[in-house]
Amino acid sequence: MSTPATHPPRNGPSVIRPEWTVTIDPVLQKELERHVLVTDWNKLIGLVDTIYNWGRRSSLWPLGFGLACCAIEMICTASSRFDIARFGAEVFRGSPRQADVMIVSGTVTKTMMPMIARLYDQMPEPKYVISMGACATGGGPFKEGYNVVSGIDKYLPVDVYIPGCPPTPQALLHGLMALQKKIDGETITDLPWYRRDVEREIPVPVLGPDLIDLRTLEITAERTALGLIEAREATLEKPPRIPAPQPAAAEPAEDAAPAAPPSSKLDKIRARVQGTNPAAQGDGETSAASAPPKSAPRAARKPKVAPVMPSLRWLGDEGLAALADRINAELGPGTATIVQAALLIPADKLLEVARFLRDSNVIRYDYLASLQSVHYEDCIEVTYHLDSTSRPGSLIELRVRVAEPEGQGKLPSVVSIWPGADFQEREVYDMMGVRFLGHPNLTRILMWEGFAYHPLRKDYLEPYYEGPTKVLESRVEDGQHFRGEELNPHGTNIKIPQSYQGWNSLDPDADPKGVHLIPPSAAVQVAEIDSESFVLSMGPQHPSTHGVFRMNLRVDGETVVGLKPVMGYMHRNHEKIGERNTFLMNFPFTDRLDYLTSMANNWGYALAVEQLMGDDAKVPERAEYIRVIMAELTRIASHMWSIGFLLNDLGAFFTPALYAIEERELILDLFEWASGSRMMCNYFRFGGVAFDLPDGWLDRCQAIVYDRLERRIDELDRYLSGNEILLERCRGVGVLTAEQAIALSTSGPVLRGSGVKYDIRRAAPYGIYDRFDFDVITGTRGDIYDRYLVRLQEMRQSVKILKHAVHDIPEGPILPGKKSYQIKVPAGEAYSRTEAPKGELGFYVISDGTTGTAYRYHVRSPSFINLTALETMCLGHTVADVVGILGSLDIVLGEVDR
Amino acid sequence: MTTIDLLGTFLKILIVVGISQGVVAYLILVERKIAAWAQDRIGPNRAGLELLDRPGFRRLAPLLRPLIGLGLLHPIADGVKMFVKEDVVPGYVNRPLYLLAPVLAITMATIAFAVVPFGPVGATGANFLGFGDVQFQIAPGIDIGILYVFAIGSLAVYGVILAGYSSNNKYSFLGAMRSSAQLISYELPLGLSILGIILICRSLDLNAIIHWQDRHVWGILVQPLGFLLFLISAFAETNRLPFDLPESEQELVGGFHTEYSALKFGMFFLGEYLHVITASFLITILFLGGWDIPFLTDQAQTGWFWALVKVFALLLKVGLLIILIMWVRWTLPRFRYDQLMDLAWKRMIPLALLNLVATATIVQLVRG
Ligand code: SF4
Repeated sequence: MSTPATHPPRNGPSVIRPEWTVTIDPVLQKELERHVLVTDWNKLIGLVDTIYNWGRRSSLWPLGFGLACCAIEMICTASSRFDIARFGAEVFRGSPRQADVMIVSGTVTKTMMPMIARLYDQMPEPKYVISMGACATGGGPFKEGYNVVSGIDKYLPVDVYIPGCPPTPQALLHGLMALQKKIDGETITDLPWYRRDVEREIPVPVLGPDLIDLRTLEITAERTALGLIEAREATLEKPPRIPAPQPAAAEPAEDAAPAAPPSSKLDKIRARVQGTNPAAQGDGETSAASAPPKSAPRAARKPKVAPVMPSLRWLGDEGLAALADRINAELGPGTATIVQAALLIPADKLLEVARFLRDSNVIRYDYLASLQSVHYEDCIEVTYHLDSTSRPGSLIELRVRVAEPEGQGKLPSVVSIWPGADFQEREVYDMMGVRFLGHPNLTRILMWEGFAYHPLRKDYLEPYYEGPTKVLESRVEDGQHFRGEELNPHGTNIKIPQSYQGWNSLDPDADPKGVHLIPPSAAVQVAEIDSESFVLSMGPQHPSTHGVFRMNLRVDGETVVGLKPVMGYMHRNHEKIGERNTFLMNFPFTDRLDYLTSMANNWGYALAVEQLMGDDAKVPERAEYIRVIMAELTRIASHMWSIGFLLNDLGAFFTPALYAIEERELILDLFEWASGSRMMCNYFRFGGVAFDLPDGWLDRCQAIVYDRLERRIDELDRYLSGNEILLERCRGVGVLTAEQAIALSTSGPVLRGSGVKYDIRRAAPYGIYDRFDFDVITGTRGDIYDRYLVRLQEMRQSVKILKHAVHDIPEGPILPGKKSYQIKVPAGEAYSRTEAPKGELGFYVISDGTTGTAYRYHVRSPSFINLTALETMCLGHTVADVVGILGSLDIVLGEVDR
Repeated sequence: MTTIDLLGTFLKILIVVGISQGVVAYLILVERKIAAWAQDRIGPNRAGLELLDRPGFRRLAPLLRPLIGLGLLHPIADGVKMFVKEDVVPGYVNRPLYLLAPVLAITMATIAFAVVPFGPVGATGANFLGFGDVQFQIAPGIDIGILYVFAIGSLAVYGVILAGYSSNNKYSFLGAMRSSAQLISYELPLGLSILGIILICRSLDLNAIIHWQDRHVWGILVQPLGFLLFLISAFAETNRLPFDLPESEQELVGGFHTEYSALKFGMFFLGEYLHVITASFLITILFLGGWDIPFLTDQAQTGWFWALVKVFALLLKVGLLIILIMWVRWTLPRFRYDQLMDLAWKRMIPLALLNLVATATIVQLVRG
């Protein structure tokens, strides 16, 4: 019998059918029970329950849908090491109609929320929801983000919560068992889906000026009309703004002295803990302006200034001066001014300069490495980092400035010169509101059309905003803490401008992210039959979009005649949050960018800040070796994953993927041993790494590197590379020529697969890569197969590097000084470039030298920019190819949407 | 036909349908276990474990425990769950067709069994309670058995097409489109590839074909090419990887059955596996000698013992084939749609024609 606590006592009168209750002599009853099938209503119900519950608990088929990093652990749970199949729950269904349990694995964003609610509604009863991880449960590390829903239970009824970030596979299994227990306790008499009085349908929330829950529409409208948000924000301390850097003639150090708040947040909190500084209490009574006396002694000490250079490897001061002269001579004086080791270009000359740099300069700047924007006091600056594939490592930076007020900044689009600027310009438009004239499709890329703000502007405060730094005072104090929800007048993570009027036009069926569709491209020739094309939306929940990515396809039969990638479903506001974190606090957030390669992300970020810190963060030898070892292990793990899932996308049902995961698990074990976490390692520090390697670690690593990985790589090679079907599917599909690959700013295996020998480890070496002997692998044809091969060979090269590194690693310190939690970062600007497994991972950091947080923090993410090439590669192929091509790009949504 | 015959037929229908449905449920388990084996995992192994602590079940523990360890209760749990699941009929579907499709799928898959012999037929000597020899075939003596199987097999595609069309969902629609094209294309090589063996055996009756192989050699030896073509086409006809395009999960989510839930989805599932069984039966009968074990059995042997040996031999071959088909699924990637079509029209059909002409010529020459 089942054990539900809710059951009425067995022998008492049945609540359901009291008239059925009879009293029988207990002895007789025993006798009867032994020989005849005698039962009463309760027992019958009990029996039915047993079977009913047992069937459901033993056959929980999850909906195959993953949101973020937690989904990776969910997939690992299906791998051979954990094997969720033992519970009969390995049957991940792509269609909600056939699923029993929805595992909400990852950050629930506002953009994604309507889809999740819809999926939930489409699942047939009985249905269950497991909230996996801190994000799904309460917003997790991203809770304050403007696009993050702080907990799926704001919308859906959750059955089981699994803590962790991410929960390990064991935890997910435990969660599954907890759900089974819960099911065991249910009884058919009071299940909600048999009751008419329980409404189980969830109204789909609407993407309006913000995410609006229709159930709370009235109250939201009322509070908005009262202007509560604006009233609250008026009392808060705003993020300070610094002036834009000026030409060298003006004393740069003086200029950089910011109108910053008096002291760093950390100091304030320390003061509060000691009870010495009552003035800092209260939400933002201390505005920047009202506290000059306190700041006087600090401001007098000039903030330290970082070495002035755009990146570690660049053209150099003389080269830049010569280039500026050449441009001025060619395009008229005053075109290029050197400002902090970069060329300041007036907006109206931008296109001419760009064309000159690409076509006529001695060094052909054909590769737009990165494009980002900064909101200064008096302007918005858009910066371009350019490199040349023929002379790698001669990076330069261009600055273009536009008007500061919202919606007024305009400058010409460079898409016609560097097509790779496409998505990046859209991102700047979305985040800063700068308009790019001449851009073919200037729409929001991460948020949705109709969202009310441009979030990366300094004057945009998130709904849960409390102060300029993320050390939220209310939440670190002992004894007292409160939740962000209590601060925001709406009680949820939304913010709607008081002027908003369109309450009546909100429509749950509207699709503000899918509206810009795609005329059939003239480039594709379809067979001469009179056929009609139709639009297919692939994703954001789809078995092979590698997360919540979406493609809007226009197909004619099966031929793709138009394609637009749609993203932002996992936009977790990484950059905004990064601008409120102290420098050190931001490490764990970088882990969650490309969550398959946390070590590589750590390195990129560390490198950027180390560039600012200069000699204060000189990495000791041993730490340099550890970094290389970790980064190369990461590369192998990531490529393994990527190859496995490419095969999966081509239809090889998980088998190669699960074998690849086996190797990855071994590497993750090493990571866990060294850093304490499988996936989110948070292992690097400025100037070194967090901990030394534990005893025995190197031996184990050596054993894996020498005895195992190589064999396994060979095995993959043997079984996969020559497979007829694989060849048929991959050869000549998704071709990207070398010129296209460069123009579209692709990087990593995608760029090299097209035959361009460009690897940051060689082009702009960092760390100690110049000491290792390895080849830069390139393909020849630029098709799926070449990208696959490049990854395979790169793993071999990584093994080669690892062998050296593990052998040569010296003893010694792992940090330049003592471990420090108080990082002083001098004022300045830095762009770090690293060769992450997916491609060029860049971090653009501006420090104002005083606040202890980054003034501007931007991630140049390889997955995001590689997607620019997707459309080019897919047109004219079939739907099945699109899936393979996407798999060969190897994107990770955490990094695409950030 | 006497009443006894009628009753016997009826009984056989019951047994065959009952067993085949049960077998299918367990085939799904076998498939999951094979997947686990191919992927270095364990696979389902614990449904029912928690029941052992319940008072009513404690006595059964010694009996149940080994079964549970093999995962044998999982199919039952899946079945129970499918039964109690809400049956959603989305508002936007074409209701009559939507309801008809799964019925069609499973009916067509089932009635194909009518002419498939699952043991010796004719004078078997296996006397059942004095009612005469048991025929191990529901409808014995149909001399165009193979045509019937093909005809019914072609009808099965309607289930898929209707499902995709009526669901009013783009993925389903694409799935149905692929399916219709694929199934129709592969009917041709499928049909052509068996003509050779039919010419050689001079019969459309499945039993006659087995008898011929029993007397001479297995079909695979005289028709190796035909066997290969038939095997490949059978993969395509049953929608199995590498040809499972109509439902290819990575591209089309669930393909034609995306919108189906609970039992209706289960019916498609069953139908699909029934197809696999039918196909394996056909391959066994046409090319692997049916119930024939070389040097051991022949047609003259009668009596229950031999009958059962033959039934067992046939079922064993079928089982191994099914496992092969499943194994392939967990090993290979999938073809692309147009490659599949190319394969059928540009390579398999010409080859099958060639095979036919060559066979016909040789048969003519040999027979003089
Ligand atoms: S940040 Fe990533 S790993 Fe952590 S809970 Fe959220 S989704 Fe999971």
